[in-house]
Amino acid sequence: MPVALKKSIPHIILLAYVCIILFPFVFVVFSSLKESNVEISQAPFAFPKEFHFQNYIDAWVQAQIDVYFFNSAYLALSSAVVGVLLAAATAFAITRMKFPKTSKIIFQSVLIGMLIPGNVLFIAQYILMMDLKILNTHWALFLPYTAGALPFSVLLISAFMKAIPGELEEAAVMDGLSASGIFTRIVLPLTVPALVTVFIINFLGNWNEYLLASFFISKDALKTLPTGMVGFRDAYQTNYALICTGIVFSVTPVLILYAFLQEKIIEGLTAGSVKG
Amino acid sequence: MKHTLKNPAVYIVFIVPTIALYGLFFLYPMFSSVFYAFTDWNGLDQTHFIGMQNFTNAFKDASFRDSILNNMYFILFSVGIQVPIIIVFALLISNVKRLKGFYKTTVFMPSILSTSVIGILWGFIYDPDVGPITDFLALFGLEPIYWLAEPRWAMLAILLTNAWQWIGFYIVLILAAILAIPREIDEAAAIDGANAVQRAWYLTVPLIKPIVSVVVMLSIAGAMRVVDIVLVMTNGGPAGSTEVMASYMVNRAIKYGEYGYGTALAIIIFAFALVLTALYQFTLGKTERIEY
Repeated sequence: MPVALKKSIPHIILLAYVCIILFPFVFVVFSSLKESNVEISQAPFAFPKEFHFQNYIDAWVQAQIDVYFFNSAYLALSSAVVGVLLAAATAFAITRMKFPKTSKIIFQSVLIGMLIPGNVLFIAQYILMMDLKILNTHWALFLPYTAGALPFSVLLISAFMKAIPGELEEAAVMDGLSASGIFTRIVLPLTVPALVTVFIINFLGNWNEYLLASFFISKDALKTLPTGMVGFRDAYQTNYALICTGIVFSVTPVLILYAFLQEKIIEGLTAGSVKG
Repeated sequence: MKHTLKNPAVYIVFIVPTIALYGLFFLYPMFSSVFYAFTDWNGLDQTHFIGMQNFTNAFKDASFRDSILNNMYFILFSVGIQVPIIIVFALLISNVKRLKGFYKTTVFMPSILSTSVIGILWGFIYDPDVGPITDFLALFGLEPIYWLAEPRWAMLAILLTNAWQWIGFYIVLILAAILAIPREIDEAAAIDGANAVQRAWYLTVPLIKPIVSVVVMLSIAGAMRVVDIVLVMTNGGPAGSTEVMASYMVNRAIKYGEYGYGTALAIIIFAFALVLTALYQFTLGKTERIEY
Protein backbone atom coordinates (compact mmCIF):
# COMPACT_ATOMS: atom_id res chain seq x y z
CA MET A 1 0.00 0.00 0.00
CA PRO A 2 1.44 3.40 -0.91
CA VAL A 3 2.40 5.52 2.07
CA ALA A 4 0.19 8.42 1.05
CA LEU A 5 -2.88 6.21 1.02
CA LYS A 6 -1.95 4.61 4.31
CA LYS A 7 -1.62 8.01 5.90
CA SER A 8 -4.98 9.20 4.67
CA ILE A 9 -7.04 6.24 5.92
CA PRO A 10 -7.43 7.66 9.46
CA HIS A 11 -8.44 10.98 7.97
CA ILE A 12 -11.07 9.36 5.77
CA ILE A 13 -12.60 7.55 8.74
CA LEU A 14 -12.47 10.64 10.94
CA LEU A 15 -13.91 12.90 8.27
CA ALA A 16 -16.77 10.46 7.79
CA TYR A 17 -17.48 10.72 11.49
CA VAL A 18 -17.24 14.51 11.37
CA CYS A 19 -19.83 14.44 8.57
CA ILE A 20 -22.18 12.42 10.77
CA ILE A 21 -21.74 15.02 13.50
CA LEU A 22 -22.19 18.02 11.25
CA PHE A 23 -24.85 16.69 8.91
CA PRO A 24 -27.83 17.35 11.25
CA PHE A 25 -26.69 20.95 11.71
CA VAL A 26 -26.41 21.59 8.00
CA PHE A 27 -29.74 19.91 7.44
CA VAL A 28 -31.41 22.09 10.08
CA VAL A 29 -29.96 25.32 8.73
CA PHE A 30 -31.00 24.46 5.17
CA SER A 31 -34.46 23.41 6.29
CA SER A 32 -34.94 26.57 8.31
CA LEU A 33 -34.53 28.60 5.14
CA LYS A 34 -36.92 26.55 3.06
CA GLU A 35 -40.44 27.56 2.33
CA SER A 36 -42.36 24.47 3.42
CA ASN A 37 -42.29 20.78 4.21
CA VAL A 38 -42.80 20.06 0.51
CA GLU A 39 -39.51 21.66 -0.38
CA ILE A 40 -37.76 19.85 2.48
CA SER A 41 -39.12 16.42 1.66
CA GLN A 42 -38.53 16.72 -2.07
CA ALA A 43 -34.84 17.38 -1.65
CA PRO A 44 -33.72 17.12 1.98
CA PHE A 45 -30.04 17.46 1.15
CA ALA A 46 -30.41 20.30 -1.32
CA PHE A 47 -29.52 23.92 -0.79
CA PRO A 48 -32.70 26.02 -0.36
CA LYS A 49 -34.10 27.36 -3.66
CA GLU A 50 -34.31 30.82 -2.23
CA PHE A 51 -33.58 32.04 1.27
CA HIS A 52 -36.82 32.18 3.11
CA PHE A 53 -35.90 34.41 6.05
CA GLN A 54 -39.57 34.93 6.85
CA ASN A 55 -39.34 31.76 9.00
CA TYR A 56 -36.97 33.52 11.35
CA ILE A 57 -39.31 36.46 11.82
CA ASP A 58 -42.31 34.16 12.25
CA ALA A 59 -40.59 31.98 14.82
CA TRP A 60 -39.17 34.90 16.77
CA VAL A 61 -42.37 36.93 17.00
CA GLN A 62 -45.41 34.71 16.43
CA ALA A 63 -44.13 31.53 17.96
CA GLN A 64 -42.78 33.35 21.03
CA ILE A 65 -39.24 32.13 20.63
CA ASP A 66 -38.24 35.64 21.72
CA VAL A 67 -39.95 35.14 25.09
CA TYR A 68 -38.29 31.74 25.67
CA PHE A 69 -34.97 33.10 24.55
CA PHE A 70 -34.98 35.98 27.04
CA ASN A 71 -36.24 33.77 29.84
CA SER A 72 -33.42 31.33 29.19
CA ALA A 73 -30.84 34.06 28.83
CA TYR A 74 -31.63 35.90 32.03
CA LEU A 75 -32.16 32.79 34.13
CA ALA A 76 -28.98 31.12 32.90
CA LEU A 77 -26.98 34.32 33.30
CA SER A 78 -28.28 35.43 36.70
CA SER A 79 -28.03 32.03 38.30
CA ALA A 80 -24.55 31.43 36.90
CA VAL A 81 -23.34 34.83 38.18
CA VAL A 82 -24.87 34.38 41.62
CA GLY A 83 -23.58 30.82 41.81
CA VAL A 84 -20.03 31.84 40.96
CA LEU A 85 -20.03 34.68 43.49
CA LEU A 86 -21.43 32.54 46.30
CA ALA A 87 -19.03 29.72 45.52
CA ALA A 88 -16.09 32.13 45.38
CA ALA A 89 -16.98 33.66 48.73
CA THR A 90 -17.36 30.24 50.30
CA ALA A 91 -14.16 28.97 48.75
CA PHE A 92 -12.33 32.04 50.07
CA ALA A 93 -13.72 31.51 53.55
CA ILE A 94 -12.77 27.86 53.71
CA THR A 95 -9.38 28.03 52.04
CA ARG A 96 -7.95 31.39 53.10
CA MET A 97 -9.59 32.26 56.42
CA LYS A 98 -8.33 30.74 59.63
CA PHE A 99 -11.17 28.51 60.78
CA PRO A 100 -9.72 25.15 59.74
CA LYS A 101 -12.02 22.83 61.67
CA THR A 102 -15.33 24.36 60.57
CA SER A 103 -13.99 24.75 57.04
CA LYS A 104 -13.14 21.10 56.77
CA ILE A 105 -16.62 20.01 57.81
CA ILE A 106 -18.23 22.43 55.36
CA PHE A 107 -16.00 21.31 52.52
CA GLN A 108 -16.65 17.62 53.14
CA SER A 109 -20.39 18.01 53.36
CA VAL A 110 -20.49 20.07 50.18
CA LEU A 111 -18.54 17.33 48.41
CA ILE A 112 -21.23 14.79 49.26
CA GLY A 113 -23.49 16.85 47.02
CA MET A 114 -21.40 15.83 44.04
CA LEU A 115 -22.13 12.17 44.63
CA ILE A 116 -25.90 12.51 44.41
CA PRO A 117 -27.32 12.49 40.90
CA GLY A 118 -29.83 15.29 40.41
CA ASN A 119 -32.64 13.00 39.25
CA VAL A 120 -32.81 11.30 42.61
CA LEU A 121 -33.75 14.53 44.36
CA PHE A 122 -36.10 15.66 41.63
CA ILE A 123 -39.41 14.69 43.24
CA ALA A 124 -38.41 15.87 46.69
CA GLN A 125 -37.42 19.19 45.12
CA TYR A 126 -40.75 19.36 43.35
CA ILE A 127 -42.53 18.88 46.67
CA LEU A 128 -40.29 21.51 48.24
CA MET A 129 -41.26 23.98 45.50
CA MET A 130 -44.91 23.23 46.18
CA ASP A 131 -44.40 23.85 49.89
CA LEU A 132 -42.57 27.10 49.22
CA LYS A 133 -45.38 28.05 46.81
CA ILE A 134 -42.94 29.02 44.08
CA LEU A 135 -43.92 26.49 41.43
CA ASN A 136 -44.60 28.33 38.20
CA THR A 137 -42.32 31.22 39.06
CA HIS A 138 -38.76 31.70 37.92
CA TRP A 139 -37.61 31.23 41.50
CA ALA A 140 -38.42 27.54 41.06
CA LEU A 141 -35.62 27.35 38.50
CA PHE A 142 -33.26 30.05 39.71
CA LEU A 143 -32.83 28.56 43.19
CA PRO A 144 -32.20 24.91 42.24
CA TYR A 145 -29.94 25.94 39.35
CA THR A 146 -27.84 28.08 41.66
CA ALA A 147 -27.80 25.49 44.42
CA GLY A 148 -27.16 22.60 42.06
CA ALA A 149 -24.00 24.18 40.71
CA LEU A 150 -22.50 24.95 44.12
CA PRO A 151 -20.69 21.69 44.97
CA PHE A 152 -18.68 21.56 41.76
CA SER A 153 -18.07 25.32 41.77
CA VAL A 154 -16.84 25.38 45.37
CA LEU A 155 -14.57 22.40 44.68
CA LEU A 156 -12.98 23.90 41.58
CA ILE A 157 -12.56 27.42 42.94
CA SER A 158 -11.18 26.12 46.25
CA ALA A 159 -8.55 24.08 44.44
CA PHE A 160 -7.54 27.22 42.58
CA MET A 161 -7.49 29.49 45.65
CA LYS A 162 -5.39 27.07 47.67
CA ALA A 163 -2.58 27.63 45.21
CA ILE A 164 -2.39 31.39 45.83
CA PRO A 165 0.73 32.14 47.92
CA GLY A 166 0.06 33.36 51.47
CA GLU A 167 2.62 36.20 51.26
CA LEU A 168 0.22 38.22 49.15
CA GLU A 169 -2.34 38.27 51.93
CA GLU A 170 0.23 39.03 54.60
CA ALA A 171 1.32 42.06 52.64
CA ALA A 172 -2.31 43.09 52.22
CA VAL A 173 -2.95 42.75 55.92
CA MET A 174 0.10 44.93 56.65
CA ASP A 175 -1.39 47.53 54.36
CA GLY A 176 -4.52 47.46 56.46
CA LEU A 177 -6.96 45.65 54.17
CA SER A 178 -9.92 43.92 55.81
CA ALA A 179 -10.86 40.29 55.11
CA SER A 180 -13.52 41.26 52.60
CA GLY A 181 -11.05 43.71 51.07
CA ILE A 182 -8.53 40.91 50.58
CA PHE A 183 -11.27 38.86 48.95
CA THR A 184 -12.48 41.48 46.48
CA ARG A 185 -9.18 43.21 45.70
CA ILE A 186 -6.57 40.44 45.87
CA VAL A 187 -7.97 36.92 45.76
CA LEU A 188 -10.90 37.42 43.40
CA PRO A 189 -8.86 39.05 40.61
CA LEU A 190 -6.28 36.26 40.85
CA THR A 191 -8.99 33.61 40.59
CA VAL A 192 -10.54 34.94 37.39
CA PRO A 193 -9.53 31.97 35.18
CA ALA A 194 -11.27 29.50 37.48
CA LEU A 195 -14.27 31.81 37.84
CA VAL A 196 -14.64 32.02 34.07
CA THR A 197 -14.53 28.23 33.71
CA VAL A 198 -17.10 27.73 36.43
CA PHE A 199 -19.31 30.47 35.04
CA ILE A 200 -19.36 28.95 31.55
CA ILE A 201 -20.06 25.44 32.80
CA ASN A 202 -22.93 26.69 34.94
CA PHE A 203 -24.28 28.92 32.20
CA LEU A 204 -24.32 26.07 29.67
CA GLY A 205 -25.91 23.70 32.15
CA ASN A 206 -28.68 26.16 32.96
CA TRP A 207 -29.23 27.13 29.33
CA ASN A 208 -29.70 23.47 28.37
CA GLU A 209 -31.57 22.21 31.44
CA TYR A 210 -34.80 20.43 30.58
CA LEU A 211 -36.19 18.25 33.37
CA LEU A 212 -36.80 20.87 36.07
CA ALA A 213 -37.83 23.49 33.53
CA SER A 214 -40.47 21.24 32.04
CA PHE A 215 -42.10 20.20 35.30
CA PHE A 216 -41.63 23.26 37.52
CA ILE A 217 -42.94 25.75 34.95
CA SER A 218 -46.16 25.33 33.02
CA LYS A 219 -47.04 28.95 32.20
CA ASP A 220 -46.08 29.58 28.60
CA ALA A 221 -44.77 33.09 29.24
CA LEU A 222 -42.24 31.75 31.77
CA LYS A 223 -40.88 28.82 29.77
CA THR A 224 -37.23 28.55 28.79
CA LEU A 225 -35.92 27.56 25.38
CA PRO A 226 -35.59 23.76 25.87
CA THR A 227 -39.14 23.38 27.18
CA GLY A 228 -40.56 26.11 24.98
CA MET A 229 -39.07 24.35 21.97
CA VAL A 230 -40.77 21.09 22.86
CA GLY A 231 -44.13 22.84 23.22
CA PHE A 232 -43.42 24.63 19.97
CA ARG A 233 -42.72 21.34 18.21
CA ASP A 234 -45.93 19.82 19.52
CA ALA A 235 -47.90 22.86 18.34
CA TYR A 236 -46.28 23.17 14.89
CA GLN A 237 -45.81 19.44 14.27
CA THR A 238 -46.50 19.97 10.59
CA ASN A 239 -44.21 22.92 9.97
CA TYR A 240 -40.67 21.61 10.05
CA ALA A 241 -39.17 24.72 8.51
CA LEU A 242 -40.36 26.74 11.49
CA ILE A 243 -39.20 24.12 14.01
CA CYS A 244 -35.74 24.18 12.46
CA THR A 245 -35.68 27.94 12.81
CA GLY A 246 -36.39 27.48 16.50
CA ILE A 247 -33.52 25.01 16.78
CA VAL A 248 -31.17 27.50 15.12
CA PHE A 249 -32.16 30.19 17.64
CA SER A 250 -31.56 27.82 20.53
CA VAL A 251 -28.23 26.40 19.39
CA THR A 252 -26.52 29.48 17.97
CA PRO A 253 -25.61 31.23 21.26
CA VAL A 254 -24.04 28.05 22.58
CA LEU A 255 -22.04 27.53 19.41
CA ILE A 256 -20.81 31.13 19.44
CA LEU A 257 -19.66 30.68 23.02
CA TYR A 258 -18.00 27.42 22.02
CA ALA A 259 -16.24 29.02 19.06
CA PHE A 260 -14.47 31.50 21.36
CA LEU A 261 -13.98 29.46 24.50
CA GLN A 262 -13.72 25.85 23.33
CA GLU A 263 -10.60 25.05 25.33
CA LYS A 264 -12.12 26.33 28.56
CA ILE A 265 -15.43 24.61 27.91
CA ILE A 266 -13.86 21.24 27.10
CA GLU A 267 -11.53 21.44 30.07
CA GLY A 268 -14.27 22.49 32.48
CA LEU A 269 -16.86 19.94 31.35
CA THR A 270 -14.48 17.02 31.35
CA ALA A 271 -13.05 17.98 34.74
CA GLY A 272 -16.58 18.26 36.10
CA SER A 273 -17.54 14.80 34.92
CA VAL A 274 -14.42 13.02 36.11
CA LYS A 275 -14.46 14.59 39.55
CA GLY A 276 -18.20 14.08 39.81
CA MET B 1 -2.18 39.42 60.77
CA LYS B 2 -4.10 36.50 62.24
CA HIS B 3 -6.78 38.83 63.44
CA THR B 4 -7.90 39.99 59.98
CA LEU B 5 -8.46 36.52 58.57
CA LYS B 6 -10.01 35.30 61.78
CA ASN B 7 -12.96 37.63 61.55
CA PRO B 8 -15.99 35.43 62.34
CA ALA B 9 -18.51 37.96 61.02
CA VAL B 10 -16.98 37.94 57.55
CA TYR B 11 -16.63 34.16 57.66
CA ILE B 12 -20.29 33.71 58.46
CA VAL B 13 -21.45 36.17 55.79
CA PHE B 14 -19.31 34.33 53.22
CA ILE B 15 -20.55 30.85 53.95
CA VAL B 16 -24.13 31.21 55.14
CA PRO B 17 -25.77 31.79 51.71
CA THR B 18 -24.05 28.71 50.30
CA ILE B 19 -24.89 26.56 53.29
CA ALA B 20 -28.51 27.74 53.23
CA LEU B 21 -29.02 26.98 49.54
CA TYR B 22 -27.16 23.72 49.81
CA GLY B 23 -29.11 22.64 52.87
CA LEU B 24 -32.46 23.57 51.38
CA PHE B 25 -31.98 22.04 47.93
CA PHE B 26 -29.65 19.09 48.67
CA LEU B 27 -29.73 17.99 52.27
CA TYR B 28 -33.40 18.64 52.97
CA PRO B 29 -34.64 16.83 49.80
CA MET B 30 -32.32 13.95 50.63
CA PHE B 31 -33.93 13.40 54.01
CA SER B 32 -37.45 14.19 52.88
CA SER B 33 -37.06 11.64 50.04
CA VAL B 34 -36.36 8.94 52.56
CA PHE B 35 -39.35 10.07 54.58
CA TYR B 36 -41.83 10.23 51.68
CA ALA B 37 -40.71 6.89 50.29
CA PHE B 38 -42.34 5.15 53.24
CA THR B 39 -45.64 6.99 52.94
CA ASP B 40 -48.60 6.97 50.57
CA TRP B 41 -48.63 10.75 50.22
CA ASN B 42 -50.41 11.97 47.10
CA GLY B 43 -50.54 15.70 47.74
CA LEU B 44 -54.21 15.69 48.73
CA ASP B 45 -55.27 13.07 51.24
CA GLN B 46 -53.86 12.39 54.64
CA THR B 47 -50.45 10.79 54.70
CA HIS B 48 -49.99 7.33 56.17
CA PHE B 49 -46.87 5.40 56.91
CA ILE B 50 -47.03 2.25 54.84
CA GLY B 51 -43.64 0.75 55.58
CA MET B 52 -41.97 -1.03 52.71
CA GLN B 53 -45.12 -1.23 50.62
CA ASN B 54 -43.92 1.26 47.98
CA PHE B 55 -40.80 -0.79 47.48
CA THR B 56 -42.56 -4.13 47.23
CA ASN B 57 -45.09 -2.57 44.86
CA ALA B 58 -42.26 -1.26 42.70
CA PHE B 59 -40.86 -4.72 42.13
CA LYS B 60 -44.32 -6.11 41.40
CA ASP B 61 -44.99 -3.26 38.96
CA ALA B 62 -44.57 -4.76 35.48
CA SER B 63 -44.14 -1.37 33.81
CA PHE B 64 -41.33 -0.47 36.18
CA ARG B 65 -39.63 -3.81 35.58
CA ASP B 66 -39.80 -3.15 31.84
CA SER B 67 -38.24 0.25 32.39
CA ILE B 68 -35.37 -1.36 34.33
CA LEU B 69 -34.79 -3.58 31.31
CA ASN B 70 -34.64 -0.53 29.05
CA ASN B 71 -31.99 1.02 31.31
CA MET B 72 -30.04 -2.21 30.94
CA TYR B 73 -30.24 -1.83 27.14
CA PHE B 74 -28.85 1.66 27.58
CA ILE B 75 -25.97 0.30 29.65
CA LEU B 76 -25.26 -2.57 27.24
CA PHE B 77 -25.32 -0.27 24.25
CA SER B 78 -23.17 2.46 25.76
CA VAL B 79 -20.61 0.11 27.28
CA GLY B 80 -20.63 -2.70 24.73
CA ILE B 81 -20.90 -0.71 21.51
CA GLN B 82 -19.99 2.89 22.25
CA VAL B 83 -16.88 2.35 24.34
CA PRO B 84 -14.97 0.32 21.70
CA ILE B 85 -15.90 2.92 19.07
CA ILE B 86 -14.77 5.69 21.42
CA ILE B 87 -11.39 4.03 21.97
CA VAL B 88 -10.83 3.51 18.25
CA PHE B 89 -11.66 7.11 17.40
CA ALA B 90 -9.53 8.47 20.23
CA LEU B 91 -6.60 6.38 18.95
CA LEU B 92 -7.18 7.58 15.40
CA ILE B 93 -7.26 11.25 16.42
CA SER B 94 -4.15 10.89 18.57
CA ASN B 95 -2.27 9.40 15.63
CA VAL B 96 -2.99 11.96 12.94
CA LYS B 97 -0.65 14.89 12.66
CA ARG B 98 -2.87 17.41 10.94
CA LEU B 99 -6.37 18.56 11.91
CA LYS B 100 -6.09 17.13 15.42
CA GLY B 101 -7.62 20.24 16.99
CA PHE B 102 -10.37 20.36 14.39
CA TYR B 103 -11.42 16.77 15.05
CA LYS B 104 -11.37 17.27 18.79
CA THR B 105 -13.48 20.44 18.65
CA THR B 106 -16.00 18.98 16.23
CA VAL B 107 -16.59 15.64 17.91
CA PHE B 108 -17.04 17.35 21.27
CA MET B 109 -19.62 19.80 19.98
CA PRO B 110 -22.85 17.78 20.37
CA SER B 111 -22.25 17.28 24.06
CA ILE B 112 -22.57 20.99 24.84
CA LEU B 113 -26.04 21.21 23.29
CA SER B 114 -29.36 20.82 25.03
CA THR B 115 -30.58 17.23 25.01
CA SER B 116 -34.13 18.43 24.41
CA VAL B 117 -33.12 20.32 21.28
CA ILE B 118 -31.16 17.31 20.06
CA GLY B 119 -34.22 15.16 20.67
CA ILE B 120 -36.35 17.50 18.57
CA LEU B 121 -33.72 17.64 15.86
CA TRP B 122 -33.37 13.88 15.57
CA GLY B 123 -37.12 13.43 15.75
CA PHE B 124 -37.17 15.44 12.54
CA ILE B 125 -34.39 13.39 10.97
CA TYR B 126 -36.26 10.18 11.81
CA ASP B 127 -39.55 11.55 10.45
CA PRO B 128 -40.89 9.00 7.95
CA ASP B 129 -42.49 11.63 5.70
CA VAL B 130 -40.02 14.49 5.44
CA GLY B 131 -36.91 13.23 7.23
CA PRO B 132 -33.70 12.53 5.31
CA ILE B 133 -33.31 8.95 6.56
CA THR B 134 -36.37 7.96 4.57
CA ASP B 135 -34.75 9.33 1.42
CA PHE B 136 -31.56 7.52 2.29
CA LEU B 137 -33.40 4.21 2.69
CA ALA B 138 -35.22 4.85 -0.58
CA LEU B 139 -31.87 4.83 -2.36
CA PHE B 140 -31.70 1.12 -1.54
CA GLY B 141 -35.34 0.61 -2.38
CA LEU B 142 -36.36 0.30 1.27
CA GLU B 143 -39.70 1.37 2.66
CA PRO B 144 -39.85 4.24 5.16
CA ILE B 145 -39.47 3.12 8.77
CA TYR B 146 -41.62 4.69 11.47
CA TRP B 147 -38.65 4.96 13.79
CA LEU B 148 -40.29 6.56 16.79
CA ALA B 149 -43.74 5.07 16.34
CA GLU B 150 -42.85 1.39 16.15
CA PRO B 151 -41.96 -0.41 19.38
CA ARG B 152 -39.17 -2.43 17.78
CA TRP B 153 -37.33 0.60 16.36
CA ALA B 154 -37.99 3.33 18.92
CA MET B 155 -35.42 2.19 21.47
CA LEU B 156 -32.71 1.85 18.83
CA ALA B 157 -33.54 5.31 17.50
CA ILE B 158 -33.08 6.80 20.96
CA LEU B 159 -29.88 4.86 21.61
CA LEU B 160 -28.37 6.12 18.36
CA THR B 161 -29.31 9.71 19.14
CA ASN B 162 -27.85 9.39 22.61
CA ALA B 163 -24.66 7.92 21.13
CA TRP B 164 -24.45 10.78 18.63
CA GLN B 165 -24.58 13.26 21.48
CA TRP B 166 -22.12 11.66 23.90
CA ILE B 167 -19.50 9.67 21.99
CA GLY B 168 -17.46 12.81 21.27
CA PHE B 169 -17.35 13.79 24.92
CA TYR B 170 -15.75 10.50 25.89
CA ILE B 171 -13.43 10.54 22.89
CA VAL B 172 -12.00 13.81 24.21
CA LEU B 173 -11.59 12.34 27.71
CA ILE B 174 -9.62 9.37 26.38
CA LEU B 175 -7.73 11.49 23.87
CA ALA B 176 -6.40 13.66 26.70
CA ALA B 177 -5.11 10.55 28.46
CA ILE B 178 -3.44 9.25 25.30
CA LEU B 179 -1.73 12.56 24.65
CA ALA B 180 -0.41 12.56 28.21
CA ILE B 181 1.58 9.37 27.57
CA PRO B 182 5.23 10.31 27.06
CA ARG B 183 6.10 10.19 23.36
CA GLU B 184 9.38 8.35 23.99
CA ILE B 185 7.57 5.08 24.79
CA ASP B 186 5.84 5.18 21.43
CA GLU B 187 8.99 6.19 19.59
CA ALA B 188 11.02 3.41 21.19
CA ALA B 189 8.44 0.85 20.06
CA ALA B 190 8.46 2.33 16.57
CA ILE B 191 12.24 1.98 16.39
CA ASP B 192 11.90 -1.63 17.48
CA GLY B 193 9.71 -2.13 14.42
CA ALA B 194 6.20 -2.16 15.84
CA ASN B 195 3.65 -0.77 13.40
CA ALA B 196 0.95 1.73 14.29
CA VAL B 197 -1.74 -0.87 14.98
CA GLN B 198 0.57 -2.94 17.17
CA ARG B 199 1.67 0.14 19.09
CA ALA B 200 -1.92 1.18 19.64
CA TRP B 201 -3.04 -2.26 20.80
CA TYR B 202 -0.03 -3.38 22.87
CA LEU B 203 1.14 -0.04 24.21
CA THR B 204 -1.47 2.67 24.24
CA VAL B 205 -4.53 0.61 25.15
CA PRO B 206 -2.95 -0.98 28.27
CA LEU B 207 -1.70 2.45 29.34
CA ILE B 208 -5.12 4.10 29.09
CA LYS B 209 -6.95 1.35 30.99
CA PRO B 210 -7.61 3.58 34.02
CA ILE B 211 -9.34 6.27 31.98
CA VAL B 212 -11.30 3.67 29.99
CA SER B 213 -12.48 2.35 33.30
CA VAL B 214 -13.61 5.87 34.24
CA VAL B 215 -15.45 6.17 30.92
CA VAL B 216 -17.25 2.88 31.55
CA MET B 217 -18.28 4.10 35.00
CA LEU B 218 -19.53 7.40 33.60
CA SER B 219 -21.41 5.52 30.87
CA ILE B 220 -23.13 3.31 33.44
CA ALA B 221 -23.99 6.31 35.59
CA GLY B 222 -25.23 8.20 32.53
CA ALA B 223 -27.35 5.26 31.37
CA MET B 224 -28.97 5.01 34.79
CA ARG B 225 -29.72 8.72 34.79
CA VAL B 226 -31.04 9.06 31.26
CA VAL B 227 -34.41 10.82 31.09
CA ASP B 228 -34.53 14.03 29.02
CA ILE B 229 -34.03 12.40 25.68
CA VAL B 230 -36.76 9.83 26.32
CA LEU B 231 -39.24 12.44 27.53
CA VAL B 232 -38.62 14.62 24.49
CA MET B 233 -38.48 11.99 21.75
CA THR B 234 -41.12 9.45 22.75
CA ASN B 235 -42.24 10.17 26.32
CA GLY B 236 -41.76 6.47 27.00
CA GLY B 237 -43.95 5.32 24.13
CA PRO B 238 -44.93 3.66 21.90
CA ALA B 239 -46.69 1.37 24.39
CA GLY B 240 -44.00 1.84 27.04
CA SER B 241 -41.29 0.40 24.81
CA THR B 242 -38.80 3.19 25.55
CA GLU B 243 -39.76 3.97 29.15
CA VAL B 244 -36.72 4.18 31.41
CA MET B 245 -36.69 4.19 35.20
CA ALA B 246 -36.32 7.94 35.58
CA SER B 247 -39.01 8.82 33.04
CA TYR B 248 -41.39 6.35 34.65
CA MET B 249 -40.66 7.83 38.06
CA VAL B 250 -41.25 11.39 36.88
CA ASN B 251 -44.49 10.55 35.12
CA ARG B 252 -45.90 8.53 37.99
CA ALA B 253 -45.03 11.13 40.58
CA ILE B 254 -45.98 14.31 38.81
CA LYS B 255 -48.74 13.30 36.39
CA TYR B 256 -50.58 11.03 38.82
CA GLY B 257 -49.51 12.79 42.01
CA GLU B 258 -48.09 9.60 43.53
CA TYR B 259 -45.27 11.37 45.34
CA GLY B 260 -44.69 8.66 47.91
CA TYR B 261 -44.34 5.99 45.25
CA GLY B 262 -42.23 8.28 43.07
CA THR B 263 -39.66 8.97 45.80
CA ALA B 264 -39.46 5.25 46.52
CA LEU B 265 -38.64 4.72 42.84
CA ALA B 266 -36.02 7.47 43.08
CA ILE B 267 -34.33 5.69 45.95
CA ILE B 268 -34.40 2.40 44.05
CA ILE B 269 -32.75 4.09 41.06
CA PHE B 270 -30.07 5.58 43.30
CA ALA B 271 -29.42 2.21 44.96
CA PHE B 272 -29.24 0.50 41.58
CA ALA B 273 -26.69 2.99 40.27
CA LEU B 274 -24.64 2.66 43.43
CA VAL B 275 -24.62 -1.15 43.31
CA LEU B 276 -23.77 -1.31 39.61
CA THR B 277 -20.87 1.13 39.82
CA ALA B 278 -19.55 -0.55 42.96
CA LEU B 279 -19.80 -3.98 41.35
CA TYR B 280 -17.94 -2.72 38.32
CA GLN B 281 -15.25 -1.09 40.40
CA PHE B 282 -14.56 -4.22 42.40
CA THR B 283 -14.56 -6.59 39.44
CA LEU B 284 -13.76 -5.61 35.87
CA GLY B 285 -12.91 -2.00 36.52
CA LYS B 286 -10.12 -2.74 38.95
CA THR B 287 -7.03 -0.96 37.69
CA GLU B 288 -3.73 -0.05 39.14
CA ARG B 289 -2.27 3.39 38.98
CA ILE B 290 0.14 3.74 36.15
CA GLU B 291 3.31 5.72 36.63
CA TYR B 292 5.49 6.66 33.72
